[in-house]
Order: sequence, then C-alpha cells, then structure tokens
Amino acid sequence: MTIGLVTEFAKLVHSTMVRVTTILVVLGISLICAAMLFAVHTDDPQLAAKLGPLIDPGGWAGYITVAIQVTGAAGFVGYGVVLSWLFSREFADGTITGLFAIPVSRPAIATAKLVVYLAWGLVTAAALLLALIVLGFISGLGGVPADVVPSMARQFGLSVFTIVLATPAAWAATLGRSVLAGIGTTIGILVLSQVSVIAGSGGWFPFAAPAVWAIHTDIAVTPVQLALVIPVVVLAVALTLHAWHRLQLDR
Amino acid sequence: MAEHAVDARGLVRTFDDGTGIRGVDIWVAPGEIHALVGLNGAGKSTLMRLLLGMLTPADGTVTIAGQALKHVDWAAVGHLVDYPLAYRELTCRQNLALGARLHGVSPAKIPGMVAAAIAELQLTQYADRRAAKLSLGNKQRLGLASALQHDPRFIVLDEPTNSLDPSGVILLREALLRRSDEGAAVLVSSHHLDEVARIAGRISVLNAGRVIGSLDPHGVDIERAFFDLVHSDDVAA
Repeated sequence: MTIGLVTEFAKLVHSTMVRVTTILVVLGISLICAAMLFAVHTDDPQLAAKLGPLIDPGGWAGYITVAIQVTGAAGFVGYGVVLSWLFSREFADGTITGLFAIPVSRPAIATAKLVVYLAWGLVTAAALLLALIVLGFISGLGGVPADVVPSMARQFGLSVFTIVLATPAAWAATLGRSVLAGIGTTIGILVLSQVSVIAGSGGWFPFAAPAVWAIHTDIAVTPVQLALVIPVVVLAVALTLHAWHRLQLDR
Repeated sequence: MAEHAVDARGLVRTFDDGTGIRGVDIWVAPGEIHALVGLNGAGKSTLMRLLLGMLTPADGTVTIAGQALKHVDWAAVGHLVDYPLAYRELTCRQNLALGARLHGVSPAKIPGMVAAAIAELQLTQYADRRAAKLSLGNKQRLGLASALQHDPRFIVLDEPTNSLDPSGVILLREALLRRSDEGAAVLVSSHHLDEVARIAGRISVLNAGRVIGSLDPHGVDIERAFFDLVHSDDVAA
C-alpha cells in the first residue's frame, strides 16, 4: 500500500492536468464569486437587478452563499474530472499493462489512487476557502462577521461532501476505460441532482442532500439524509476496487 | 515442473472475433531465450498476457517458478507488453524509480539501480527529460530499462524491438544475452526472424492460436522455413 501511495503521489504532483484543474477549482470558483460582487455594485441597474438576488443578502453572507452554490456544481465537475483522469489514464496511456505482474496488487493501486485523490481534494478545498476569504477582503467586504463563520464551515463541508461523492466517476472510468465515461457519469449525476432538487426530493437524493444542506438553511436536511452519503460512497469505492481486482486486458 | 521458469499447459482463451489461443503448451527454462514468432493475430500477445495474469485462461494452467499465478513472486518477473511503463509527466529517471518501486525494490537500492539501467540502455542524455518529450524509440528503451533493471528471473517482452533504432536493437540483444547467461529465462516475441535467430535458443511458431512447430535458430533460410510452416498449417486447416 505504501508503494502505491508513493507512486500515485509522484504521478499526481507532476501532472499538468491536476495542476490546471486545481487552479480552475481554487481560482476559478473564487474569482467567479468575487466577480459577481463587483458586477452587482456596478452602475448598470439591469446587471445589478439580475445578479442581486443571487448574492442576497449581500456582504459576506451573500458572497459565501454564491460560493456554496458554485462549489456544489463546478466543484463536483472539477473533482469528477480529476478522479476520472486518475483512473482512466492508465488505459489511455497503455501503462495498465505495467500494473500487472508486479508485487503490488491492483486493488492496492486503486486504493492509493483514491487516498491520494482525497488528500488532493482536501488541500484544494482548504485552498478554495482561503482564496474566497482573501478575495472577500480584497473586494472590500471588511472583517468577517461571526454569523458568517458557520456558512464558511458549510462551504468547506460541501467541498468535502463533493469530493467523496465524485467517487462513482472512478468506477465508471474503470469500466469504460475512458475519461469520458467518468466525466459523463459526473455530469449525469449533477443533472439528476438538479432534477431531484427541483422535484423537492433533493434531501433524499444523496448526491444532492449536501448541497441542499449547505445552500438552503431554511430547508431542514436531517442527519439521516446526510448519512445516506456514506453507503453511496462505500458502494462506489467497493465497486471500483472490485473492478480493479477483476480487471482483465481483454479489450 | 519446477525446473522451468514458466510452464503453461493447455492454455485456451478465445475472443468473439475468432482470435485467441487454442490449447498452447509452452515453457521456458532458466538461462534460455525462447522466441515466439507468428503473423499478426497469431496469438503471441494473448499468450503473453495469459502468462502474466493479464487474462484469465478459459482452460489450462500457468506456473512461474513452480507456483500458480496467485502465489508467484512477481518481484522476480519483468515484462514489457504493448506499451512501456512510462508516465508522460515524469522524467526517465523518475519513471525508472517508480518502476523499481512497483517491483518491490528497496528505496535505498533504487538510485544505483536506476543509474545502471540508464547507462545500460544509453539513456543518459535523456535521463532528466520528461517521457512526453521522448521519441518513440527512446520511450521503448525506457520501457525496456524499467522491465529489466531489477534483474528479473523471468522476462517477458512482446515485440521489444518495435521503434528501436539499430543501436537500440543491439543494446537490447546484449542486455538479454547477459541476463540469460546469468540464468534468467526470457520469452520474447518478434516479427524480426533474423533478430530472434541471433539470440534465441528455441523458436516456436504460432499460427491461429496454436503452436504449429519450431524453427532452427541456426537454419540457413529461417524466413522460408517460417512461411512453409504457416502455409502448411493454413492449408491443413
């Protein structure tokens, strides 16, 4: 397992694709939110009217609310893309043959990929929150009010939920042996989540429940509903490891 | 059985398109270089995948150093099948260190082993260049270095001369002869009959998923002997 972790870490830290996605997740999301702050305070009344409701009630609270909404969608896609790439690149680059007939088992390699992904995701989530705070200060929002701190915690919490909920992408990328299979699955889950929220059943859809919990403080999401995330992630991880255990190079 | 580095009996694995392996027996002794030759689709790569656990046989058995595949000491095996183990974002040196790690080499031994492998395959000037920037030939040399650097006792190489320039072919030849002299068993497939005749002690011919005969590495016209065998088999079928 240690060998798998060392090798997967080396691949991740040197990857241009991971670096670009990290920048997109951290700076992309935080700049979108900061840009909305600037845009709503322009002299253009039409733009202010369009964007105003999105950052209601304004200030830090509105800014973080926007950040939570963007994290729920863009963050999920970003994490899904990296996870899909981590698993599918072995097939695309042909390096999968080198992962057979070695002393390290393939489930150990897949586990190492998931652990390294989780560590990268947590670092990225922390960097995103930090970037949001710095850009909030730069945007002239002033000191962080105490009542906004729980919202910030929800934003970070949603990032963590998003990181683990992207795990079906690893399974899909393995079965499909393609990054598109993983990304397609990620987008499909995102669409289903939106539909479940619109239908009013988002709390009971594990992929949507954390976003509903983080965004809509007026809608009660129960601990049981949030806990449904656990079996979903456990199942996705188990299916991924099983797929790597049973893997054959027959196509 | 245990005297063979690898011993496969009655291997069967076919695919929907009709290709595959149909009842192949094959073995390689320690210190022997055994070459597999055949036309495209004859089953060479499938056979190698079966020997390395990349495919599960529908029938038949494989043992390496007398052990079933579940219990093989894979640290003693080196292989290059299809694509080299070369991650585009890593340098040659980093790729070789990663390959050594995956083969269970202790971290303390890796720098020396990697340096020796770079020297043996003459990759010194590319040692700190990312794999993405390497030519196909140098990427193949990198893959061969990764497969051979830990001095495996059983070596499997699928068409290893692909993309190699003439000097790379000679380096590979010397590397394989050196290892077989030291007792390693080598199974190598190739389309280049002259090249395998230079290094192999035994040449088996595959056609339509079966071993249909063998060629004398010291024969006068090995190419003609090969086509005679294949043609006779095709006519008989």
